[in-house]
Amino acid sequence: MEFFLYFLILIFALIGTPIFVIMGLAALVAFTFSGVDTSAIIVEMYRIASAPTLLTIPLFTFAGYLMAESKSPQRLFDFANAIFGRIPGGIAIVSLIVCAFFTAFTGASGVTIIALGGLIMPIMLKRGYSEKFNLGLITTSGSLGLLFPPSLPIILYGIVAKVDIDKLFLAGIVPGILLIVVLAIYSIYQGRSFTFAHNHQDVLPIKAAIWQARYELPLPFLVLGGIYGGFVTASEAAALTAFYVLIIECFFAKDLSITRDVPKIIAESMTLVGAILLILCCALGLTNYLVDEEIPMKILQVMKTYIDSKLMFLFFLNIFLLIVGCLMDIFSAIIVVVPIILPLAQEYGVDPIHLAIIFLTNLEIGYITPPVGINLFISSFRFQKPVIELYRASFPFLIIMLIALFIITYVPSMSLFWFDT
Amino acid sequence: MLNLLRKIDQIIERISYYGLIIAIALMLSLSIMTIVFRWFGITFMWIDPLVRHFVFFSAFLGGALAISKNTHIKIDIASKLIEHLKNEKLDKALQVLLALVGVSAVMWMAHASYKFALMELEFGKEAFLGISSGQLVLLIPIGFVLMAYRYFFIIFSTVFSKEKL
Repeated sequence: MEFFLYFLILIFALIGTPIFVIMGLAALVAFTFSGVDTSAIIVEMYRIASAPTLLTIPLFTFAGYLMAESKSPQRLFDFANAIFGRIPGGIAIVSLIVCAFFTAFTGASGVTIIALGGLIMPIMLKRGYSEKFNLGLITTSGSLGLLFPPSLPIILYGIVAKVDIDKLFLAGIVPGILLIVVLAIYSIYQGRSFTFAHNHQDVLPIKAAIWQARYELPLPFLVLGGIYGGFVTASEAAALTAFYVLIIECFFAKDLSITRDVPKIIAESMTLVGAILLILCCALGLTNYLVDEEIPMKILQVMKTYIDSKLMFLFFLNIFLLIVGCLMDIFSAIIVVVPIILPLAQEYGVDPIHLAIIFLTNLEIGYITPPVGINLFISSFRFQKPVIELYRASFPFLIIMLIALFIITYVPSMSLFWFDT
Repeated sequence: MLNLLRKIDQIIERISYYGLIIAIALMLSLSIMTIVFRWFGITFMWIDPLVRHFVFFSAFLGGALAISKNTHIKIDIASKLIEHLKNEKLDKALQVLLALVGVSAVMWMAHASYKFALMELEFGKEAFLGISSGQLVLLIPIGFVLMAYRYFFIIFSTVFSKEKL
């Protein structure tokens, strides 16, 4: 009977039942059959209300949505274009940087492709890049800034794995830059084979571009400087960021109306936050059950028969996470998978912070991995192209990202050098 | 009948919408207030747990909004396939089935959280500002019931409404 119910829940999941319902149902069934009162699930669920960094999730997301709805993408694009736009492949580098910036603030929820895709595509086409290359670049860039602070997946990982979020923010910087650099090198290399109209009429003078983006440029310094300067906690940095963005977009840049636009943006961003937090709440009971039943340890015992070294573990971990990444969205994956792999990784001597960066890089790649990487579908919807075309366009970028993943996995000092000293 | 049920659903939508706006406004202003007051060496111990509870309860309000907007995170391979078939009956049947699963699970969660709330009301202690943990926990079953109603309305309106999907 119990097995049949789990099978039924799996079917419900595959036909599109919300993940939080699936998690809740699985926890309710598990607790009922193990004879534990179901109110124990709610005890676990309520524990989330005492997570110290909980506030960062709604406030950073709100700030990201405010920027996405304003003219910030255009101003930042113009700024990056003024810096890099004149070098070969420069416009592609501009796209990578601006997308990474936006993804860091909007948490790779598809907003980057929707908000920036329409801005980047015509400019790149005008500069002579092929449509296929542009589609691949924008689709890949949609999840590119995931490793940079204050990305929502990093915060969520910190809460679920009980790892210091400040450390995770630092650990993701160099691997995040590596991903941008390898993609930039590929873009410059590809850029040579396209015929360019070298007039650069759309590139603003640097001074004018800096002046135009003067409100947005201090943001990364506000977040990082605030936290690492010891002035504010991560939650306070989130409040300051949201407050700052609200004030600049409504009263200085005057892109948004505080009475007309802001309430809608709050509802939109909080719908996403609500969806994520509900999964987190409902999954806490289930993961607690799995840990109580010692499921990770049972998996470990089986694994130890076949996998006897850290390097081999990391190799199979990457394969497993790539599969997870292309089947599940990043938020559910963090909430469900992290509690299971964390004890396994520790047994194999993988540092929890390095594991976080490996985990998030894999899921970042999962966004563009066929058949069901979510960015492929968002781009297909945004640019009205068949998803098969997106598979082809993103494939070279996927290979490059996999090379970067290899480096990030097997060179842990890239993520951990901050803490060695 | 359908009109009355729709009105209740719209009230829940409005409660969630304005509740979220108020929650964000309070989270933001209280957090900024904490930073400013700290410059003057003043600390209010109740702000931090209060703000975290705002986040916690806004999850339910955001969740209720996401149900009507159909934006909850899910694996939607099968529903995408059915959408491509452009078979309205099949589409409606799937929608009703998903809402049925939703309402059952969420009501079950509401029942479990009600039991927990009763325990907390009896044995819980003061959380902050004279509010007991039981009173705070009582908001969980209320949140689940709001969501359950929205699923129930989807079933009812899909089955009985003559409008096309």
